Amino acid sequence: MGHKSIEEIINSEVILSVDDLVIKFNLRGQELTAIRGASLDLHKGESLAIVGESGSGKSVFTKTFMGLLDANGRIEEGTIMYKGEDLAKYKTEDEWIKIRGKEIAMVFQDPMTSLNPLKTIGKQVQESIELHQNLKGEEAKKLTLEILNDVGISEPEKRYKQYPHEFSGGMRQRVVIAIAVACNPNVLICDEPTTALDVTIQAQILQLLKNLQEKYNLTIIYITHDLGVVANVADRIAVMYAGDIVELGTADEVFFDPKHPYTWALLSSLPQLGIKGEPLYSISGTPPNLFKEIVGDAFAPRNPKALKIDFIERPPYFQVSQTHKARTWLLDPRAPKVEPPVMIQKMREKWGGADEK
Amino acid sequence: MKNKKEILLEVKNLIVEFGSRKKKFVAVNDVSFNIYKGETFGLVGESGSGKTTIGRAIIRINPAAGGEIIYNGKKISGKIDNETDKELTKKIQMIFQDPMASLNERAKVDYIVSEGLYNLKNYGTEENRKKMVEQALLDVGLLPEFASRFPHEFSGGQRQRIGIARVLVMEPELVIADEPISALDVSIRAQVINLLAELQKQKGLTYLFIAHDLSVVRFISDRIAVIHKGKIVELAESEKLFENPLHPYTTSLLSAIPTPNPRIERNKKIEMYNPGISHFDYDKNPPVWTEIEPEHFVLGNEREIKAYKKQKQ
Amino acid sequence: MTSKKIINKMADNIDPSLFEFAEYDETKGELSGYSNYSFWRSTVQVFMKNKVALALLIVIAAVVAFTLIQPYLPNQKSPTQIYINPETGMQFRNVRPNGEFWFGTNSIGQDLWARIWSGTRTSLFIGFAVGLFEAIVGITIGALWGYVRKLDALITEIYNVWDNIPSTVVLIILTYIMKPSISTIIFAMCMTGWLQMARFVRNLIIIIRDREYNLASRCLGTPASRIITKNLLPYLVSVIMLRMALAIPAAIGNEVFLSYIGMGLPIDIPSLGNLINEGRSLMMDPNQRYQLFFPAVVISVVTISFYVIGNVFADSADPRNHV
Repeated sequence: MGHKSIEEIINSEVILSVDDLVIKFNLRGQELTAIRGASLDLHKGESLAIVGESGSGKSVFTKTFMGLLDANGRIEEGTIMYKGEDLAKYKTEDEWIKIRGKEIAMVFQDPMTSLNPLKTIGKQVQESIELHQNLKGEEAKKLTLEILNDVGISEPEKRYKQYPHEFSGGMRQRVVIAIAVACNPNVLICDEPTTALDVTIQAQILQLLKNLQEKYNLTIIYITHDLGVVANVADRIAVMYAGDIVELGTADEVFFDPKHPYTWALLSSLPQLGIKGEPLYSISGTPPNLFKEIVGDAFAPRNPKALKIDFIERPPYFQVSQTHKARTWLLDPRAPKVEPPVMIQKMREKWGGADEK
Repeated sequence: MKNKKEILLEVKNLIVEFGSRKKKFVAVNDVSFNIYKGETFGLVGESGSGKTTIGRAIIRINPAAGGEIIYNGKKISGKIDNETDKELTKKIQMIFQDPMASLNERAKVDYIVSEGLYNLKNYGTEENRKKMVEQALLDVGLLPEFASRFPHEFSGGQRQRIGIARVLVMEPELVIADEPISALDVSIRAQVINLLAELQKQKGLTYLFIAHDLSVVRFISDRIAVIHKGKIVELAESEKLFENPLHPYTTSLLSAIPTPNPRIERNKKIEMYNPGISHFDYDKNPPVWTEIEPEHFVLGNEREIKAYKKQKQ
Repeated sequence: MTSKKIINKMADNIDPSLFEFAEYDETKGELSGYSNYSFWRSTVQVFMKNKVALALLIVIAAVVAFTLIQPYLPNQKSPTQIYINPETGMQFRNVRPNGEFWFGTNSIGQDLWARIWSGTRTSLFIGFAVGLFEAIVGITIGALWGYVRKLDALITEIYNVWDNIPSTVVLIILTYIMKPSISTIIFAMCMTGWLQMARFVRNLIIIIRDREYNLASRCLGTPASRIITKNLLPYLVSVIMLRMALAIPAAIGNEVFLSYIGMGLPIDIPSLGNLINEGRSLMMDPNQRYQLFFPAVVISVVTISFYVIGNVFADSADPRNHV
């Protein structure tokens, strides 16, 4: 496939390192803790997927890498180390200008609202180039056309002069990606890049991103709730719940050997694993209220297999393999042996375990 | 599957148009299918395919420009008298896609769930109405005390369940579920799917399940119709459709379904649907809705049907 | 990977019994209360943060209250009575503000203090009445216009015709035909005022008309009237209140204008318009300027207050500002 193998990725340098990040928001006089001490390392050239549902904090988490946090939010604790600098300490726009685009670029969810309806798409892509790659005029335009071609826009000369409303949803998303790539970034963050698109277009866009990753040597972070997307693109997966990363591992490990009860629940509830006529495995209840302080494991109230200690003390990370760790007391040697739900075992039977290569 | 194939809904050559006479857009173009009593009929398509429009035409939000819709033997498209209108309000109901937009933010849950009852005026006493609301909330797994609260106090999944409760309280026969889980979180979808399946068993409901997510539709539907740009291209029992898809659009759609298996996904090749190539002779030889084998219909012209039949052997 | 949190050692002083299964209560998961956001409470909170608006609200409340209780205070003079100096037998004309006449007197000897409060009362009454009428008629017509598609073309035509006639012309013609009185003026202003409100309401209704919750109501058989009252209008409350707030200074302004061209209220009914008009004619004389000064201050305060309060309230009622 041309893509790096897991070994290569783990051994490549760490370009972004987040340590114990705590993010809080002031909301109508109350304080909400959106991220409760999350840590993550990003290796050069990898595709990392951050999986979570609404309220998990996955978008907020990555917005801090670019200083896009809302005005009522702040980084309370923790560090974000990038090229020797701690991005968490950045306060002014001047500091962030150096990072945005040139180092870290973002592709947003809704292509309808990410583009300026009053400018031609050619201009929008070219602006990016002129700002971040120090090219002007004809040279910039040449590169623009090349990038438009790379993202799969046919007849780039003609489409250069067109406006966003003349493009379909999938094509617009390609333009958005072109703008991001034109910045020549190190890291590309894609926040639900295909959620608003049809299934057939989705597959194309994901393939496009993979191609671009190779050509432009990008490191990509995918934020999504769609496990199908994750299976398609991810080298490593971070599962987020209630502002914390509860499981981190390679794609194979997380899909075929998940350890955290939330990951079990997430995988089990997929309709692809359902048996017709029988109810799907579902998690009851709703995510916790982040205005209140969470004691112990945030997932405990919804976990039928919760231990008493889950309600008292927050579990630390337990290492499952060199690349795989999870925050659950079930991995503690003193905990009783708990088998993952039937669905997960069925998945293993159907598609093979983590150790099959 | 179903032994007693009693037809509940017949859609015959339905045409739905939008816009004025000059700039007409045909959203639904000569669509025909039947829904049997007690089954879950899945209607799958991408955005702009017309699937939502079909649902809205059945429940009479969008007028039919051509063709007929027949419910339980009675024509319900076009002009109908007040009595039939009232009857239909009770018998056919709809669950909407976006739980954040489908509830009136300024009304209490009690009013939202009882709205239909107030319209039909068939609940008897106030006591009785309250009981019906309570029962509906319990049926969907919510607590009766939620009746005095406002929608913003609930999560997406709970709001969707309120939407289901307001449909249930009408005691309908046919429920049109228009993308009921697309806007929900992954883990909540399973809850709602289970709820819908459970309610179907309990109350003998018939579902028209409209969605773009094939894996969900496969799980919940008995039969599936695939719709593309206003035309149904294939209709078959779920498993048959997945095992043996005939129409090139169906195969392309199936190949694009994301599977939660990294090994398969990473090496997947998507099949592109190219109508220009597959249907190059539609001008000379227009397609016909043909039954290839019992309960398996495809839209194709002579040449294609011949090829499909060969495929089966 | 940060290894600070990874525990490899067994040595931990945690009670082993904690590693047993806990009781699983399914309802505990359901009850995690979602949000206690209340629309009106947030609106009020945001409004209160704006100190200027809050101050002006208090000022207006004080002014309105005072206009109502002023006649019942001790030692108040009548606004229409002509006061005659007992010593000279002459009218107390154009007396500058002093201990007896707190705001002075006008050219025929009437007490300006009493006249101003009475005038403010009248003008505010006219303003509120017009605002109320505008609201009722404007909302009704606007709602029907926006919601009932069949009426759209018809009402649009009526609106276009009506809108093209300058409101001042209408005002003048109506007051000319009917004798000037409080009811005439109110009627005249109402004839032109409802237009803008109707248009506002109609535009908003068109925007929210096809949202899913309204489609749901239609599926449930809810008649148009109830959809308008229960589904649509509650969303328009903030806009409606803004327009009502602005209607009041507009009405006062119109009334002043009418007085200026001689179509205002008769002089025996004091109103801010009359008072301004009277004062205006004495503007050049520095000794008599007080006759213009006091009513001008009152009008300014009232106008600015309603304007600011209306706008700040409309902003506060926008859910996007509720953070």
